Amino acid sequence: MIEVDQLRKSFGDLTAVDGVSFTARKGEIFGLLGPNGAGKTTTIGCISGLLTPTAGHVRVMGHDAVSDGPAARECLGVAPQEVALYEDISAIENLSFWGGTQRMRNPRLKQRIQEVLEITGLQDRAREPVKRFSGGMKRRLNLACAIIHTPQGLLLDEPTVGVDPQSRVRLLELVRSQAQSGACVLYTTHYMEEAETLCDRLAIMDHGRIIAAGTLAELRSMLAERDLLRLSGVFPQPAARAAIEHADGIEIVQADEALLILSVVEASRHLPAIFAALANAGADVRGTTLTQPSLESLFIKLTGKELRE
Amino acid sequence: MRFVWIAALKDLRILRREPFSVATWVGIPLCIGMLIQLIFGGGGAHPQGVLLVADQDRTIASRFLTNAFGSEELGRMIKVETVDAKTGRERIDRGDGSALLVIPSGLQDAFLKNQPCRLELFKNAGQQILPNIIEQSLRVMVDGAFYLQRVASNELRSLNATGSGTDAEVARNAVEMRHLSRDLSGYFSPPLIAVETIAEQEPGNRLTVGDRFFPNLIFLSLLLMANGLSTEIWKERLFGTLRRVAVSPAPVAAFLAGRVLMVALAYSMVAVVSLVVAKYLASVAVPNMLIAAAWAAVSGTVFYLLLLPMAVTSPGQRFADVRGNLLVFPLAMLGGCFFPFDVLPDWMVRIGRWTPNGMAVIQFQNLLRGTADWRHGAAVLAALLLLGMLAFWLSVRRLKGEFLR
Repeated sequence: MIEVDQLRKSFGDLTAVDGVSFTARKGEIFGLLGPNGAGKTTTIGCISGLLTPTAGHVRVMGHDAVSDGPAARECLGVAPQEVALYEDISAIENLSFWGGTQRMRNPRLKQRIQEVLEITGLQDRAREPVKRFSGGMKRRLNLACAIIHTPQGLLLDEPTVGVDPQSRVRLLELVRSQAQSGACVLYTTHYMEEAETLCDRLAIMDHGRIIAAGTLAELRSMLAERDLLRLSGVFPQPAARAAIEHADGIEIVQADEALLILSVVEASRHLPAIFAALANAGADVRGTTLTQPSLESLFIKLTGKELRE
Repeated sequence: MRFVWIAALKDLRILRREPFSVATWVGIPLCIGMLIQLIFGGGGAHPQGVLLVADQDRTIASRFLTNAFGSEELGRMIKVETVDAKTGRERIDRGDGSALLVIPSGLQDAFLKNQPCRLELFKNAGQQILPNIIEQSLRVMVDGAFYLQRVASNELRSLNATGSGTDAEVARNAVEMRHLSRDLSGYFSPPLIAVETIAEQEPGNRLTVGDRFFPNLIFLSLLLMANGLSTEIWKERLFGTLRRVAVSPAPVAAFLAGRVLMVALAYSMVAVVSLVVAKYLASVAVPNMLIAAAWAAVSGTVFYLLLLPMAVTSPGQRFADVRGNLLVFPLAMLGGCFFPFDVLPDWMVRIGRWTPNGMAVIQFQNLLRGTADWRHGAAVLAALLLLGMLAFWLSVRRLKGEFLR
């Protein structure tokens, strides 16, 4: 179990993580979802012991990540966001080294190396220098190095960034299998579909805070079957905002001169009234997008911006 | 300790995949050394020329003259070949030989009768030094003959006149020659003035070019290698592997110690190869091969450790490279690694001998020259190790903190 309690991490004047709390349980995949700069990697850094929290507590399998760092780190496997491998040596040599850092010894280490090579589908290229691997193969090896010691907790920081679809499917299967075998997986991503299909529970982060957390169903219910209506064009402010802000069933998510994002109950029914009100306010609508309730629309509703911004 | 070995093994595996860099580390000083050897010679060699002699007299006097060119110092520089006059001229005309000396028939007679005689010397116009040496040597010999004629003209004349005289005449001439020799010895060896010449032995004077330059060139290589290796820690940071180590149970200090172990092994290899090549290909005196190699390996490892804090406090790898070069080149110059201390100005030596590389290279030279003072060597070793440990501690602190971010 990974417990994060009121975690805060500041770098000078910048507070990267501000009062984050959550618990990731054994056998589940807990997703941390948020745009770049939301504080996901800093949170992972504090859990893994790479960063010392400014305030709050992190416990990994009951060990405090600061005061009992080595014991906490022994329970964890970490796959960093950037592929962290020695490219001049082979996959086996990498696995042997990273297994060694986790106090593994032969013959168990040799046996486990063969297992993870098989799991990741790299056994045919195991003796080649890693620099000859494709991006997807490197990602798989990156993950293999994290699970070489069969950790109880697994921190995966955006492990599928820049990976081809085939490798992505393989990686996601691998992550699922780790959770099924009892590991507690903390998974950060900004890929909405990944989070929806993979994670048992999710926390949405923005500006260093968790702005929503729960199962996918719980999060979707927060939208209350609202559609997300995105209008582009010219919207003179404050007239455009004033024209619609008091209308029933309509919430303004974002309103500026070029973009208007609205959370609307039964958008199709309200559309004529919205267009009419905006036209009266002098607005010129040039584009319209209507999105059904999803994690992405929830994220936009909560943060006022898209996940990939 | 186990993790130190694991980390070192990983670095050695990486090194094994980069044989070119190892070859470069060993190759640079050896190439420079070989070039110096080729340009300046081995230190003990002399220029060698060929004197062609056409001896038409074939007497004791002419052989004496010919043999004079083949004796002692002159003999090391000049090889004498007997030829006939025609062949000699042909060879000199085509530049084969330094000079041709033609000794005419009747030289001995003329010398004993105190009559003029003409020796001919043809010099090779294509050579500058050796023909002149031959000419000057010949002039000295002719002058010597002239003075011998002046002081012993009667004896020489009688020697010539007696030819195959009676036993009594031969005995009389022998007695006269002995008296002459006794009289002249008073001039050549004045008994009242005793001159005792004590030549102070200067070891440097016996050194070959290889002996002079190889120690500092090997240390120049060690310094450059240290600079290159120290900035490689940036690769660990840029590839994210250092962060990954930091989130494992393995201590960062052990990780760095493993790297230092690999560096020490690499230095040992480079030192042994350099010294073997220096000894067997460049004739450098290496009396204590193992101790010299160990000293070079320890010194190189300390250089690496001293440069490491500079690398990890730099804001980037490029900056670390530039900063390292800015430090290493003046250090190499001051500390007797570019040029030996023997040829550096005094002020530079006074500063340079206190630099880490200066201290190390002096001890290394002493080891190779067989003049090492073991007590002083131990003190220098202790100072270097202390500096190295301090640098290691600083580097670990930095690696655990700011360098990871």
